[in-house]
Amino acid sequence: MLIRPVTEDFKVIGFYMGRIFLVVAAASLLPLTWAGLARESNPFGSFLLMTGVFALLGVIGVRLAPRESELDWSHGMVVVALTWLIVPMIGAIPLFLSGHFGRPLDALFDAMSGLTTTGLSLLSDVDHVASSLNFWRHFLQFLGGQGIILAALTIFAGTGGITLYIGEARDERILPSVTSTARFIWAVSVVHLIFGVTSLGLVGWQVLGFDLDRSLFHGLMVFFAGFDTGGFSPQSTSIGYYHSAIFETVTALLMVAGAMSFGLHYALWRGPRRSVFANLETRTILSTFGFTMVLTILGLAATGLFVDVAGLTRQGFFQVLSAHTGTGFSTVPPAELAKWGGLAFGGVAIAMALGGMGSSTAGGVKSLRIGLTIKAVVNQIKQVLLPEHALVGTAYHQSGRKHLTPALIQSVMVISLLYVALYLLGAGIGMAYGIPLQEALFESVSASANVGLSVGVTDPSMPILLELVYMLQMWAGRLEFVAVFSMLGFVYAWVRGK
Amino acid sequence: MRRLVRLTFLASVFLFIPDPANAAEEVSVPEILELGAELAGEEVTVEGELVGDYGFRDNGWMWTQLNGDAYVQRPIREGGQALGANVGIAVRVPVELTEALDPPGRYRNRGPVVRVTGVWKYHDSTRPGESYLQVQSLTVTEPGRQLNEEVNWTAVILGALLLVGAGVIALLTRPKDWQRPTFRC
Repeated sequence: MLIRPVTEDFKVIGFYMGRIFLVVAAASLLPLTWAGLARESNPFGSFLLMTGVFALLGVIGVRLAPRESELDWSHGMVVVALTWLIVPMIGAIPLFLSGHFGRPLDALFDAMSGLTTTGLSLLSDVDHVASSLNFWRHFLQFLGGQGIILAALTIFAGTGGITLYIGEARDERILPSVTSTARFIWAVSVVHLIFGVTSLGLVGWQVLGFDLDRSLFHGLMVFFAGFDTGGFSPQSTSIGYYHSAIFETVTALLMVAGAMSFGLHYALWRGPRRSVFANLETRTILSTFGFTMVLTILGLAATGLFVDVAGLTRQGFFQVLSAHTGTGFSTVPPAELAKWGGLAFGGVAIAMALGGMGSSTAGGVKSLRIGLTIKAVVNQIKQVLLPEHALVGTAYHQSGRKHLTPALIQSVMVISLLYVALYLLGAGIGMAYGIPLQEALFESVSASANVGLSVGVTDPSMPILLELVYMLQMWAGRLEFVAVFSMLGFVYAWVRGK
Repeated sequence: MRRLVRLTFLASVFLFIPDPANAAEEVSVPEILELGAELAGEEVTVEGELVGDYGFRDNGWMWTQLNGDAYVQRPIREGGQALGANVGIAVRVPVELTEALDPPGRYRNRGPVVRVTGVWKYHDSTRPGESYLQVQSLTVTEPGRQLNEEVNWTAVILGALLLVGAGVIALLTRPKDWQRPTFRC
């Protein structure tokens, strides 16, 4: 029998959401300060309004505090799913008030895309956007990539809980407690921030000949979007704007770091490093990257778009890496990417669908699930081929020796199939609006796997239904379904429960 | 008489000798992006706004972006509609042509609108895979200018009121020690 949630349940959910809103209100002081320092008075007003809304909702939520309650699984998942819906709604306020969006839904689309680190954008005239607004767009990707909940867990030590952590699509507890794990993740991010901004800033200043302040600005924006595999960029031509192989190399390093699981970061920092390459996930991602890269290079060679191997390899490598890590940066315009037919197009689309590592900032099915699925299929084939009573090994290496159990296989298969269904949903709706299959599928995969590469379908003139579907895909894809289904179940219980 | 015929002949020859700037095909930025490979190596003339940064590199070239979209003539800050993404190409300009340029287009600033003639380098093999316009001549058709920025007072006042409201609620409903909830996770 379904039990209808009572007032106390709503109070618990409201209390935790209130705390998270207060953290986001504190975070939104950064773009507010930026706008103040840059004397950008128009964005300053809209950031003040956004901060006020977050603060008010936060205080009201916290004051709903129940007398005593445990944050159970259901509450935690609802908190996560709702937070990831409401934060973009409020975060869209400064975007919409900037005048760079035709309708409020477009601003919400960009905020959702930013927070889920997708990178698809409906922003008009990005080349004339205020620097503080650009900071907010990129900072949203940083917040979303790290995890808003993770930020809250770091600050409100001891009151978060494993449910919130898992709800945000992280299932790897690197250190004994969730709080210490969250702090480790922030430490890794800060080290990369220092490395990323310094390196990109130096390249911008010394190699590209930009002014120092603009070099640091570009460095910070590209770091946020690269390390958190977001894909927004401060200029309309993405990474192609810089016309520099060195800049692309540093960006590529950040994308790779962002697509690595934080468990892998931990192993690389504190050893043993050799075991990293024994991990099923590492081997899988290296194999799938190699496979999609070969596919793309062969496809590009067949199109005849490039006159030399060096150009073909450079552009192919960057696009495939961007797709596989779920970043969405590009060095070619969308119109040209749409011309990458056949194998090249397939290579990039497959790379997007597969995604990065689990518990990273990347989206997609994730390498560990791919590896486990392949292992399960191979075992099944072995079982058929070998004598009836023969035993097939089920062990695999992933931060130690583990076993492939039927429950694990089931869980992996369900999530993988849900991703495939999500990819097909957006493609089907796109095709219903007359978009060719290839482009509809590409854009749908890009939204669901939180990548952000576009062949031009995502545009302010796109149908509203398609826009809503892409937003749903970004949200569900980022949270890996569990929190979304829990929230739907909670709503159903509220309506139909007794 | 023979002299007059000779002069007439020479004058007509000069009339039909193409001026280098006029010989270039007149195209728009969206056309360059659309045609891409078909224009590879061709001399083209294109007009647009310089935006972003002026990147002065060691080798005597300045890199920037040339936009040819609706915002060149009607910036959003001046009431232009939000019509989608920018449409721009990279341009590589000899440093000596950049001396009289106003700052590039950014927030509150419409960059100079220029008319440039140059060779369209599509997937240039000397810069693996990059596409850009190598500029030979540049004329400023409209200088850069400041764009107005208006303060959104409604947002400022509403935001301040909400913050004050949040503070007041927090103070008035501050729980006593015995009322603080205990949580287990």
